[in-house]
Amino acid sequence: MKSRTVLFITLSLVFFLTYPNNGWAQAPREEIEKTAQHLASLLNVGRLIVERNQTRINDPRTGDKGFTPEVFEQEVIDEFMRQTTIDLKQLSSHLPSLAKELLPVLLQSSKEVVADAQLVINQRGIGYKNFVPATFGSQAARKFSNRSYVKIKQTALNPRNLKNTPDEYEENVLKRLATQPAVDTSITEWIDNGTTLRAVTPLYYLQDCLACHGKPRGILDISGYPREGAQEGDLAGAISIQIPVNKQ
Amino acid sequence: MRRLRHLLKEYGSQGIVPFLIAFGFFLQGCGLVFDAVELVHPLARDELSAICSKGQVRVGISVEPFRPFVFPAVFTDEGVRVTGLDVELIREVGDALTAYCGGQKPIVPTLHLTRYRDLFIEINEGHLDLFVASVGGNVPGAGSAGLWYSIPYFHNGGIGAMIQRPEVAERVRTEFQHQAGNSDTLAAIQAGLSGLTVAALKGRASHLYAEANLKNTRLLVCDSLPSAVETKDPIIDVILSQYSVLEYVTKRVWPDWHLLTRNDGTPLILTQEYFSIVTMDERRRLQWFLNNLLYRLEESGRLEQMRRRWLEEDYAPTRRATTEGLPFEVSKVPEHYDQGQCRFATGR
Repeated sequence: MKSRTVLFITLSLVFFLTYPNNGWAQAPREEIEKTAQHLASLLNVGRLIVERNQTRINDPRTGDKGFTPEVFEQEVIDEFMRQTTIDLKQLSSHLPSLAKELLPVLLQSSKEVVADAQLVINQRGIGYKNFVPATFGSQAARKFSNRSYVKIKQTALNPRNLKNTPDEYEENVLKRLATQPAVDTSITEWIDNGTTLRAVTPLYYLQDCLACHGKPRGILDISGYPREGAQEGDLAGAISIQIPVNKQ
Repeated sequence: MRRLRHLLKEYGSQGIVPFLIAFGFFLQGCGLVFDAVELVHPLARDELSAICSKGQVRVGISVEPFRPFVFPAVFTDEGVRVTGLDVELIREVGDALTAYCGGQKPIVPTLHLTRYRDLFIEINEGHLDLFVASVGGNVPGAGSAGLWYSIPYFHNGGIGAMIQRPEVAERVRTEFQHQAGNSDTLAAIQAGLSGLTVAALKGRASHLYAEANLKNTRLLVCDSLPSAVETKDPIIDVILSQYSVLEYVTKRVWPDWHLLTRNDGTPLILTQEYFSIVTMDERRRLQWFLNNLLYRLEESGRLEQMRRRWLEEDYAPTRRATTEGLPFEVSKVPEHYDQGQCRFATGR
């Protein structure tokens, strides 16, 4: 009886070690992948809300723009709900526990970025203030990454901010994406023997982006950077997320 | 004494003050108590040592944008930043202090962005070590009691004028023509601007100049340059401010305003000013440090390079803010910074 028990345990161990992608291990992986997708969506929604309010933010005639962190938060909640059916105010029990842990952190980080920018946003007499989706996104991603073991970063093949320079993995994915037709899903991959998820969500230029990133190429835009000469639908960059399986 | 040192080491800095007070009672003179305290924590540190030990220098700058000396705060990938000639100078001061303090840890300039008039209060209350805000060191009435002004970091300061309507320029030019070669800027300005509505910036050199020299004008005192530009009622005929600032803003910010020039097209500058760094009067070591630094920067051509960089080169302030701007404390800045408004000067 005793030797049977030992044999059973040994065989079980061999089974689990040989087939790491069995049903038990897939659940957390799936959870992590979904969480990465939700995080990318949330950061992108934040960028979208900043873009929607750009005219208001850049209005030189008014001081208090009313674009408070609370207003921003509500708009993000509404848009995120519309895009994903997830209510950030009341996170569903069906949501992966990791997402339930991390989505509020990213929302809070994004809200803090808008709070930090209030002085700049509410300056009267100043039009362009450089509070744009890209600068908002960089700051929100950094704030979030500093308080989490998950890393989020905005990246591009030729980033204006050198801190957003892609690593080797991101560069390969971006180069691949640049030659393909636009996709609306993330590219996810498990690396380092399946211990880390890499998720890259492409961002494409919209019409509104082209005032700074469009043609003619090389002409300085309002912020002083040379325009990329992009067209609507071209690959602008990506939101890159790294989630290790183990919380370190 | 050896025993005392041993005791002090044993006690460490915690609870050392009560120990020294108690110990003082057993000593014959107060000097010995002082010496004992000095052994542990020097009391009479000068301002430079204090800056070195804190690792930061508290610098005031004005929230009112005096482009290209200080640009309006912008949002960057690194957070909110300010930039400009004054800010680059502050970086130089920080670097020089780092070297002075031994270079082990950087001396970080902590910028306090506040209203121009509050800079004087802040420094008097000891909240600032110095301030850099395009302040004229030789303007009658601009100095405040108890403050000290450094040697110049910008020599070509002076009041200029900008206008929107060409007939104002014609009036001034006609006065210059009447002088028939006897150039008298003040007389031409006094006669040319007589009866017109002139805006000046509150507390700045232009305000003091107008109060002292332009009696026959309707003087409007404005909280900031943007507030003067925005004012529609009454209609402002002339705005007086720093020539370098006006030269910048007429080219790049408000192209429908024009610099008032002489008949031959050369700049009309009403005064000669230089800009200084300001500290408290009694801070001798800091003052020598700043004067020596400014002299060295002038001698090496670095100041000239900075002046050219901000006043003559073509650049985007936002990009410079991203790459070289400095963060700042916003505690003293009103939540919704308002450029303020204009009102008629009283008692004229």
